Amino acid sequence: MKRVLSHPLTGRLCRLLLGGAFVYANTTKLLRPDEVARLIYGYRILHPDLINLAGVVFPWIEFIPGVLLVIGILPRSAAALLGGLLAVFIGAAALVMMRGIDIGCGCFLPIFGDRVGWPMIARNSILMLFALQVIAWPTSLLPGRRR
Amino acid sequence: MVKPDSPNLSPLHPLADAGQRTIAGVLVGSLCLLAASAALGLIVNHFSPRGVPLFPPPQEQAAPPLPAGLRSISPDQAYAAFQSQSSLFLDARSPEEYARGHIPGALNLPTKDFDSRFPALADRIESAKSIIVYCRSVECSDAVEVAEKLRELIPNSIGVFDRGWETWRAAYPSKQGDQP
Repeated sequence: MKRVLSHPLTGRLCRLLLGGAFVYANTTKLLRPDEVARLIYGYRILHPDLINLAGVVFPWIEFIPGVLLVIGILPRSAAALLGGLLAVFIGAAALVMMRGIDIGCGCFLPIFGDRVGWPMIARNSILMLFALQVIAWPTSLLPGRRR
Repeated sequence: MVKPDSPNLSPLHPLADAGQRTIAGVLVGSLCLLAASAALGLIVNHFSPRGVPLFPPPQEQAAPPLPAGLRSISPDQAYAAFQSQSSLFLDARSPEEYARGHIPGALNLPTKDFDSRFPALADRIESAKSIIVYCRSVECSDAVEVAEKLRELIPNSIGVFDRGWETWRAAYPSKQGDQP
């Protein structure tokens, strides 16, 4: 099992899937902070004073680490940051579900549904496992032994 | 799990490996990435035509920001417009959601079908003095997208009813079916 998990091919796959998912999810959001702010507003978690700021910043703190992860620059730091964000998203989704609020999740793959719910939590949990794999056994596209 | 300083991890390219050999290094790298990415977002927002004010004035905090040029319509304003029939309501949700219930008189113009549906509705939309677009609730962006597309096509006054269908149906009359 450990041999499979630590295999460079597994590392490459996890790195590209995790980074690619965040890049793909945020390319259309980068220049649309108002839309992101609306999504965040729907969660009713952040103080209204902070929603615009979050709408501006969130797409970039997902996109840049995603790009770095795809290339393989600072893969462990990028994966740790994205893993932390995924943990925040899972917590926020759990809170929304506990309150019984039905909102769109702004998810990027419709096969997982477009509402905040268990499919979203499951998807984010899988991505978190990818992040842990990258942190433990990082790979890079850049020249080096582990590519 | 392999320890961060395990020989199994090295060597990566210096760019990939810089400061990445200890847990502290990884965390410091994450914080630097976070700060740099956030700073980039703030800079881009400052120069972007779609940029939003970071800390809006208190009277604008009740709802998320709209792109410049679009009016925000409160539930009271929407109901007043409904009663006086002074505005044409456009429902930007899917046909299925529209059929389950909509504001009486509202035309269905889903974001995804905008290009195919607009020509058939163009006459009625263009002849309306003012237009109010809505979608499901405050967190959806369909109404904003439809409003922006309309703004490029027609000069009419266009507003977005931020609170949308979920707020409307709780207090005001509704209609089911695929007819306005």
